[in-house]
Amino acid sequence: MSSDLAIRCSGLGKAYQLYARRPDQVKQMLFGSFRRFYQEYWVLRDIDLEVERGESVGIIGRNGAGKTTLLRLLCGITQPTCGELIVTGRVAPILALGAAFDWEMTGRQNVLIGSAVLGLRRSEILRRLPSIAEFAAVGPFFDQPVRLYSAGMRSRLAFAICVHADADTLIVDEALAVGDAAFQQKGLAFMEAFRRRGTLILVSHDMEQVRALCDRVIWVDYGGVRASGEAAKILRLYGDATEWEEDDDIRFRLDAEARTALSPATTSRGRKKWWIL
Amino acid sequence: MSVFINRRDRGRGSVGFPNRPDQMADDRALDEIAARAKQHGYVVRLREAVGRTAPRLRYAFGPLSVGWRHRELILAVLRRELADRFSGSVLGWAWAVVGPLITLLIYTMTFTKAMQLPLASAQGGTSSYALSTFLGLIIFSLFAELCCRAPLLMHEHAWFLKTSIFPSETLAWTAVLRALTYAGISFLVLLVFELALNGVLPLSILLLPFIVVPLVLFLLGVVWFLAAIGAFTRDISYLMITFVPLMMFATPVFYRVADLPTGLGMLAYANPLGAVIEIARAVVLDGVFPPILAYLGFLVVSLVVCRGGHAVFQRYKGILIDVI
Repeated sequence: MSSDLAIRCSGLGKAYQLYARRPDQVKQMLFGSFRRFYQEYWVLRDIDLEVERGESVGIIGRNGAGKTTLLRLLCGITQPTCGELIVTGRVAPILALGAAFDWEMTGRQNVLIGSAVLGLRRSEILRRLPSIAEFAAVGPFFDQPVRLYSAGMRSRLAFAICVHADADTLIVDEALAVGDAAFQQKGLAFMEAFRRRGTLILVSHDMEQVRALCDRVIWVDYGGVRASGEAAKILRLYGDATEWEEDDDIRFRLDAEARTALSPATTSRGRKKWWIL
Repeated sequence: MSVFINRRDRGRGSVGFPNRPDQMADDRALDEIAARAKQHGYVVRLREAVGRTAPRLRYAFGPLSVGWRHRELILAVLRRELADRFSGSVLGWAWAVVGPLITLLIYTMTFTKAMQLPLASAQGGTSSYALSTFLGLIIFSLFAELCCRAPLLMHEHAWFLKTSIFPSETLAWTAVLRALTYAGISFLVLLVFELALNGVLPLSILLLPFIVVPLVLFLLGVVWFLAAIGAFTRDISYLMITFVPLMMFATPVFYRVADLPTGLGMLAYANPLGAVIEIARAVVLDGVFPPILAYLGFLVVSLVVCRGGHAVFQRYKGILIDVI
């Protein structure tokens, strides 16, 4: 493993297990080694990706293409079904901003917990609290329960935590969508500065943002990498494609034609694909 | 740094659930070491032998090292949960003392005045019987509280687990430490009463840490196991609510093992909870050295339960997030 790689994955795949009935989950736990009680839904397959330290990579693609699942794998929130994934350094995910807050706790308590989740020591957190409060700029609401916050305030607070996490890798999913223009400016300025010292992975539907922040772009479609390379080139390809592709539901289909083509060819031990009815 | 390695062939080979990731990483490390040792000389091989045991040790102490690595987080969550519990009340932490105090008073009153039990252990002084019952109850309710909460643990924190990189195995640590704090407060009340009654505390109380540590490991194992299974089905939670109160009578809480006929006494020791209650009574109330066989047995059981519970949790951890 070369030391300047922040992320390396090969053959990475994620299949969700879809159960027709809830009791099937228990059956799978008990008798899983004899029979399969679920239908597989391959969200991602055969992802090979290497991100060097200090690189900034944009991930684009349509809804349901697997972008968010890829980010969740990179953060370690879910575990891959197959493949190899190595992530080095401290990762700060900015996904679903503010969703991980406990609504009954005050902003301050949430900062204490949220920063500890990112791996900060208590003394470090306490030292940074004033700075976090200043960045979030929610004023006296900092000591109020988060349930009183507006969506914008929640995302400001969550963003402030990630900014102060001293991360080596920042993983951002549509982070600034809720904030107002001034806050977006502040966020973009931070990401622009972060680019120079850390690794940035950015998912966005805002092509201008991707163009401004990323050296390299990966276009994810149907759970695989459709194209990857220099930002301007891929963005142009993607732009062209969106012009003639229609908005359909093929990405969300579970049936055979849509999905078997996508799942890795290896069907283990000659098992029949009996679940395809 | 986080590493996830799931060898593709093996991951796909088992149609059940993905294999344990940490085991995989260790396997790989072992393979690498073996390959290098083949190339190099004797000294290197010796050094590698040390390196080879390291992954094994890491595997054996996996449950503990995870707790240590996330200690800051565990303490942060624990601090918040403890502060939460009484924050809405006027008396605050006084409630934590008042509850057990009232329990103990009522016990003493019942067993010294209202009810004279025909048990052998109840003859030696009724107040000591109340203390012994109270101690049994402290340990049992510690277990009962965790058993009833553990199956819901993942559901309680589902949103948290799904949207942040919160390490799910630390939830067991927080749950156990929180329950242990309340049990500790009850225990202090017990000690104060014992001191007031006897005027002196037995020296053997210093052995208490040797009981608490295996007890914590045992409880951790139980919580990991129940939390993993409970994430898939709510039945476990209902099962526990039905089953745990019954277990109270199978455990020497209201009686002592000495009250039982010999054969049944052995059976009571086979119940790990019964064993730890008897051991604690010996140390805290009787002031004698605990029955050594029962202690060793409990030690082994607690280590096995802890490792086993953690192994089960690790096995299902990956898909747990997807099903809750």
